[in-house]
Amino acid sequence: MRAIPAVAFEGVTIRFRAPSGEVHTVARDISFDIAEGTFLAIVGPSGCGKSTLLNAAAGLLFPPAGRVLVFGEALAGINKHATYLFQQDALLPWRSVLDNVMLGPLFRSMPRAAAMEEARRWIERVGLKGFEDRFPHQLSGGMRKRVAVAQSWIVNPRILLMDEPFGALDVQTRQIMENELLGLWQETRKTVLFVTHDLEEAIALADKVAVLSAGPARLKGVYEVDLPRPRDVAEIRLNPEFNRLYTRIWADLREEVKRSYDARHP
Amino acid sequence: MRDTLDKAPEPLGAEDGKLATASKRRKAGRGVIVALQVATFVMLVAIWQALSVQQILDPFFFSRPSDIALRLWEWLTTGFIWEHLATTLIEAFLAFAIGTVIGVGFGLAFARVDLLAAVFDPYIRILNALPRVILAPIFLLWFGLGIASKVALGVTLVFFVVFFNTYQGVREVDLVILNNARMLQATDHQLLRHVYLPSAMAWIFSSLHTSIGFALVGAVVGEYLGSARGIGYVVAQSEGVFDTTGVFAGLLLTSAVVLCVDLGIERLERYLLRWRPRA
Repeated sequence: MRAIPAVAFEGVTIRFRAPSGEVHTVARDISFDIAEGTFLAIVGPSGCGKSTLLNAAAGLLFPPAGRVLVFGEALAGINKHATYLFQQDALLPWRSVLDNVMLGPLFRSMPRAAAMEEARRWIERVGLKGFEDRFPHQLSGGMRKRVAVAQSWIVNPRILLMDEPFGALDVQTRQIMENELLGLWQETRKTVLFVTHDLEEAIALADKVAVLSAGPARLKGVYEVDLPRPRDVAEIRLNPEFNRLYTRIWADLREEVKRSYDARHP
Repeated sequence: MRDTLDKAPEPLGAEDGKLATASKRRKAGRGVIVALQVATFVMLVAIWQALSVQQILDPFFFSRPSDIALRLWEWLTTGFIWEHLATTLIEAFLAFAIGTVIGVGFGLAFARVDLLAAVFDPYIRILNALPRVILAPIFLLWFGLGIASKVALGVTLVFFVVFFNTYQGVREVDLVILNNARMLQATDHQLLRHVYLPSAMAWIFSSLHTSIGFALVGAVVGEYLGSARGIGYVVAQSEGVFDTTGVFAGLLLTSAVVLCVDLGIERLERYLLRWRPRA
C-alpha cells in the first residue's frame, strides 16, 4: 500500500477575476503528490502562479476546480498541519521578538509561561539570544527572517510552506539562511514546499524540483535531486551532478521563462 | 512605514552620544522652532497690547492682553473658576471616553462585517453630515440642563471621528501579517486582539487628537446654550454684560486646557506606538 502523501494537488485550477472583470486563469489542472518528509522546490517563471499554488496548499484560497488533500483529507479551511514563511515581513510589527515567536503556542492555548520558555529556546536556536525584547523594525532583514523561522517552526508543523522566503535578502545573508534552514530541516525532516524562481537555490536545497510552465501554470515536470546530504549550499554548486541537473532542468525552464517574458513584453 | 526590509538596524540601545547625526540636527532645529513659536506669541500679544493702549483697537470690543491676564489671575486665585473648569473637564472627559469606546466598537464591527457597513452606510453619512450643534437644544430637552446634555453633544462629535478612523485602520491591515497570524491558527478573537486592533491603533490615535478638541467643543457649546456651570456658562455670562475680557479669558483657558490634554495624549501615543520606526 502506498503511503498517504503529505500534500496532494488533484486537478487544481485557479482563476481570479481582475478588477476589470476579466477572468485570469493562473493555474490549470495541476496534479502532483508530495510524500511526507520531502523537500520540494517549485520553480517557474515569475508571475506564473507558484505562490498561488502555495496559498492553495495553505488553505488561504480555494481552487474553483480540483482540490488539495493534506494527509489524505481535502482542505476546507486553513491548513492546520502547515505554517507559512512569507517573502515579505509577516511579523507583527507591534510585538517584540519574544511575543512574535510566542504567538503560535499561545494561539494553540499553551499556557503563557510555557509558551515563553519554548519561545526563548527557539530564539536562542536561531541565534537571536539577547534580542528578545526588540521590535522587528530594530532588526536587520536577515534577523527578521530568523524570527519568522522560529515563529513558524516552534509549533512543530508537519508541513512548511515557503514563498521565496529569502528573496529580499542580500546574497551573503541568503546563503547563511539557506544553510541554517537545511540544518534545521536535517534534524526534523519535515515536508517542505519551497517556492522560488531561482533554480540554483531550488537544486541546492531540495529533494525534488517541480517545474511550472508560464502562466497559466501547468506542471511541466518533476525532477529528482539525488545530491548527497547534509549539504552546504555554496559547496554543493561545485558538485558535477549539480551542474548536470541544472543544465537539464534549465533546458525545460528556459522555454517557459522566455515565453513568460515575451508575453509581457510584446 | 513598512518598507524597512533593507534598512540597516538602528543603533541598538545606543547612548545619546552615539546617535546618528541626522537626528542630532533635528534636535537642534527643535530648540529654534520652540524659540520662534514663543517669539511669535510674544509679538502678537505685544502688538495687541500696544494697539489697545493707543485706542486704535477699542478695548470695549477687543479687551487688552494685560486685562485678560489679570482676569485669569483673579479667577485662579479667588478660586472662582475651579468649579467651572472642573465641570467642563468632567463633561469633556466623559464625552471623549464614551465617544471613543462607542466609536472603536462600531468601527471594528463595521470593518469586520461587510453587510453592516453596506446597510448602514447611507445612515452614517446622513448623521455625520448633520451639523451637530443643532442637536444641542434637543439634548437640552431630553437630558436637562445638567452635564448629561453636554456629554451627549460631545459624544455625537467624538464618535464619528473615532468611528471613521477605526474603520479605516482595520480595513488597511497588512494582508501578509493577517495571513501569517491565520496560518498560526489565531481565532477570530485573537486576530482582533493581536492584529486588527494594534494595526488600527495608529489611526485611532491620530483621531484622538481631533476628538479631544471636539469633546471640549461639545461641552463648552452645550454650556453656552444652557447651563448653570462650566466655562461655556462663564463665557455666556460675560458676553451678557458686554465683558469682552471675560470672554477672551474663557477662550484662553479652554485653549490651554486642550493643549495640555493633547500633550498628554501625545506622550501616551509615543509609548503605545513605540514599535514603529521613528520617521
